[in-house]
Amino acid sequence: MKLYGTILILLLFITIGSWVSTPFKPTPLAFVVPKGWPQPVYDFKHNPLTKEGFELGRTLFYDGRLSKDGNYPCASCHQQFGAFATYDHNLSHGVNNLLTTRNAPSLQNLAWQKEFMFDGGINHLDVQFLAPLTAENEMGETIENVVAKLKKDTAYKRLFKAAFGDETINTQRIGRALSQFMVMLVSSNSKYDKVMRGEDKFILPEQLGYDMFKKKCAVCHTEPLFTDYSYRNIGMPMEEGLNDLGRMKITRDRNDSLKFRVPSLRNVSITAPYGHDGRFFSLYNVFEHYRNKMVVIPQTDSLLQHKMPLSNFEIGQLTAFLRTLTDTSFLKNPMFAPPGYEITPVFIHNH
Amino acid sequence: MKPLLAICILLFTVFLCAFTSKKETHVIVIEFKHKVGEKLLKLSEENYINAWGEPFVVNKFRYYVSRLTLIDDNSDQIELKGAYHLVDEADSTTKIITLTSSLPNITAVQFVIGIDSVKNVSGVQTGDLDPMKGMFWTWNTGYVFAKLEGTSDSSHALAHYFTYDVGGFRSKESALRKIVLPTKHSNTLSLHHLTINVDINKWFQSKHDIRIRQSPVCHQPGELAMQLADNYSTMFSVGDIN
Repeated sequence: MKLYGTILILLLFITIGSWVSTPFKPTPLAFVVPKGWPQPVYDFKHNPLTKEGFELGRTLFYDGRLSKDGNYPCASCHQQFGAFATYDHNLSHGVNNLLTTRNAPSLQNLAWQKEFMFDGGINHLDVQFLAPLTAENEMGETIENVVAKLKKDTAYKRLFKAAFGDETINTQRIGRALSQFMVMLVSSNSKYDKVMRGEDKFILPEQLGYDMFKKKCAVCHTEPLFTDYSYRNIGMPMEEGLNDLGRMKITRDRNDSLKFRVPSLRNVSITAPYGHDGRFFSLYNVFEHYRNKMVVIPQTDSLLQHKMPLSNFEIGQLTAFLRTLTDTSFLKNPMFAPPGYEITPVFIHNH
Repeated sequence: MKPLLAICILLFTVFLCAFTSKKETHVIVIEFKHKVGEKLLKLSEENYINAWGEPFVVNKFRYYVSRLTLIDDNSDQIELKGAYHLVDEADSTTKIITLTSSLPNITAVQFVIGIDSVKNVSGVQTGDLDPMKGMFWTWNTGYVFAKLEGTSDSSHALAHYFTYDVGGFRSKESALRKIVLPTKHSNTLSLHHLTINVDINKWFQSKHDIRIRQSPVCHQPGELAMQLADNYSTMFSVGDIN
């Protein structure tokens, strides 16, 4: 009977084998969790990382055709040299000379993030791109048009086939490919990281700043990601005209008024301006806000009900520490540059 | 070896046949017929009047039918597995759903208007759930379960639009509504074509009174969305059965 069984199984294999004519074998791409970091929350099982998927995502990320007039790829507001935030801009720019109501956040360590946007309205990385793509004051395009434009390009047919096994181009595949690119944007090699790994040492002001940081800031800007991903009101009064209620817009709960996601402080030295609407032009503006300018309302975070006393000395040391969070190997990683480039060229910064 | 091989092939064939043998089945066509009161719906043309005397023109009318299930007199059920069906007035092919049934005596049709929470939180879907279909909130992730949009002189919104986009998958704001429609005592032999009448007037007056004058716009989950869902959950009724 054993022989019969074996033959039967063999036959089955042959039958199945003949159905599948050309095997689809993309090259797996390893996602490395930095030592001591928590496990990522992105579900890699539903979207296995491959070199081909990543390359497709990278191509899409830098492709202006995802926008209405061709000039606003994802990368127009998310620039590598600005840690994938917009370098030097407060409010993001969109098609037709329009401004958005928010400051583009940096894109880094997204595999650890569950909700997206400053108000957390978006619940999955794969659907995130639909918001800027369809917003009239951002990329101003429709999904139909984008899919139609990509289908006309034979290079994309090849890229989609390589990444997903056939030439189908649809919303799901665009989202998954973009996610594959974006989850790889891991920043974990700053001086801070090297110190934590025992490869480097803080100089005195950095060490003093780090000690202070752990006491005053780390409750919300929790290591190693430098955010706890919570939504908090830090006493920023509403900017008239922008009328941005933050988290309350999503939950419709008055207790969430003017709450915004705690941003990561990784690469913070190069992501100015700060705040959900970019109202702080320097780190000093931020410190000044915490120690003086805050407008405390009932919804303001319990930790900040009495603002945050900071001396000039402390501000200096904290600034020294925050500079150690700059990760130049991330900012210059050729893997994340536009396809065909080793480093993101300056012309990408044209808005 | 040769006889062995022959036996194996024979076994394999029997095995395959066992899997593919069918129960007696037949095809049932379910057709949604959109009306405003007694009048058939005509998009962007006809002016209708709701229970509050408010005139309105409909430009878009769409809704998701999911977990469509046939139930027979033994409470046996056949569910159209994993099927999410977008019914769109603008595309007549979407108003017809074809099911294969092996149930002998169907007594009810059951379905849900909306998309269950798991599909709202697990990334980009395909087919009728493709966000490209225009039934997806991008800024606050989630599907629009049903959409009734048009113009009304009673609307104080911009350009006299009234736009009811209803959704909400979180438990406190759930706009998911289950519909059960008894089909009397039809049996398989007679049930081939089932018409479900859909009356848009119910959006305005049913469990709640909703006036365009007061609430011309619903663009997010919440109380108004849940009230609209309560109302439109009563818009379905069984029409002709053949």
